[in-house]
Amino acid sequence: MKDVHMPNDVELITIPGNWNFDYRYFAGETASRFFAELKNSRRIMGTRCGKCRRLLVPARTFCEACYVETVSWEPVGEEGTLEVFTIVAAAFPGMPPPPFVIGYVTLDGADTSIANFIKGVDLSDIHAAGKSLLSRPRVRTVFSAEVQGRITDFHFELI
Amino acid sequence: MNARPVYLHGAATSVGWGDSRRSLTDMIFATVTDALRQSDAHMDAVDSVVIAAHDLIDGRSLSSMVTAPAAGSYLKDEMRVDEDGLVAASFAAARIEAGEARLSVVAAWGRASEGAPDSVSRVGFDPAFEKPLGLQELDISAVRLSAWLARYGDPGDSRAAATAARSMRAGRSPRALRVPSRDSVLAYPLRQAEGPKWADIVVAMIIGAAPSPVRVGGVGHATDLPRPGERDLVGMPALRQSAEMALRGSARGIDSIDLFEIDGMTLVEEALALESLGLAAPGHAFEHYALAENVNRAGGSAAAWCYPAMGLMRLAECFHQLSGTAGATQLDTAPRRAMAIGSSPLGAQTHTAVVLERA
Repeated sequence: MKDVHMPNDVELITIPGNWNFDYRYFAGETASRFFAELKNSRRIMGTRCGKCRRLLVPARTFCEACYVETVSWEPVGEEGTLEVFTIVAAAFPGMPPPPFVIGYVTLDGADTSIANFIKGVDLSDIHAAGKSLLSRPRVRTVFSAEVQGRITDFHFELI
Repeated sequence: MNARPVYLHGAATSVGWGDSRRSLTDMIFATVTDALRQSDAHMDAVDSVVIAAHDLIDGRSLSSMVTAPAAGSYLKDEMRVDEDGLVAASFAAARIEAGEARLSVVAAWGRASEGAPDSVSRVGFDPAFEKPLGLQELDISAVRLSAWLARYGDPGDSRAAATAARSMRAGRSPRALRVPSRDSVLAYPLRQAEGPKWADIVVAMIIGAAPSPVRVGGVGHATDLPRPGERDLVGMPALRQSAEMALRGSARGIDSIDLFEIDGMTLVEEALALESLGLAAPGHAFEHYALAENVNRAGGSAAAWCYPAMGLMRLAECFHQLSGTAGATQLDTAPRRAMAIGSSPLGAQTHTAVVLERA
């Protein structure tokens, strides 16, 4: 096949490509209220499943495990436990310069964890920092001075 | 209605990196043609084509007009899945079991050299809650490892031993990429050698109703919860459930499986799967992975990796082992039964397991 299709003097062509499409994601009523609570009340809310009784954070319309609608809204504590984490080493536009920590935190009263940046970690020695974070430390929620009703309105800091 | 048996006739794998001599469609055509040749089959006899591809990996829509015909879909009964290639094999097998097809091409591909698979994985996260944090697929693997380390502590030398074993197995695989490709920047606590070897991969298999030496014993699927923070990242219950379903279909227990080919983006998913399956005791995943000769004989994601071809690649490895055609990775005694496990992003939420057995 090569002999038929590829004479030696033909330049191989590489065509550049780029996708840059705009989307608008509708957060929906439940997530919108969750973000409104962040912005207006500076508190994190969950919704409780009427079947398994778990308080799901962030709030959601239905419990995926039980496949039923959630039945009530409840605030969770400002403190919690860092369950799992990663120390990100790759740079990406719009993100903080690496290294930085992202973790999943179970806030007091909640039955699921929520992801956000973990700040206040000494990252001068990555391995020492990692070893410390593996102990599932306690963290507290810290809201930004200016809130916009987005997940980035708050982060967690080690206590 | 009794399901008809499903047999595997041939498999072909194409692995490379940034070869500008071949377009994606050239690669697909060449690999499917090779699989047909291995199967002593001709496209004229094929009545079903099932393909697995991913818009953002390909940089082309799955509904692209050009890739499916390269797999032989012209005027054929064709299905396209935006999922792991093992799902495509499952769909093809279902058509044959139902008597709606006699001979099927199953093909899956991903060409990492054309795009930025690390970056595109970010779009799979929830746009309200997790995407703004910049998480990518490899970060979930790191988070999974942190959960395991928090539970069991530092496994000592066994993690390095598992990495070395995986690298050694990849080194002898005839279907491994042997040229430099792209290195991902891995997040702590992952180590660089635990990551995937990005590659351009096309896998094609021919399956059908006509008897052959290898048949499908059982198939299972399961999906985990959507948010990584809500999942049992260590237990991987969807993986376990898919395997149990496939074993029930084959009316066999896991002890009857002689070979496991498990897809994971990093060593972490490959090793922790052994605990999920009950093959390794809790806390001994890496130790078991290092010592087990019947796990990922071809080196797993250290040999070559690109979503969504990997589940089908694992199935092809099982087929080669059962057929005695695995080459340098062939088990001394050809196995009677093998299990392939495929997974989907993000964070291996969905798993498919297929049991193959010698007919």
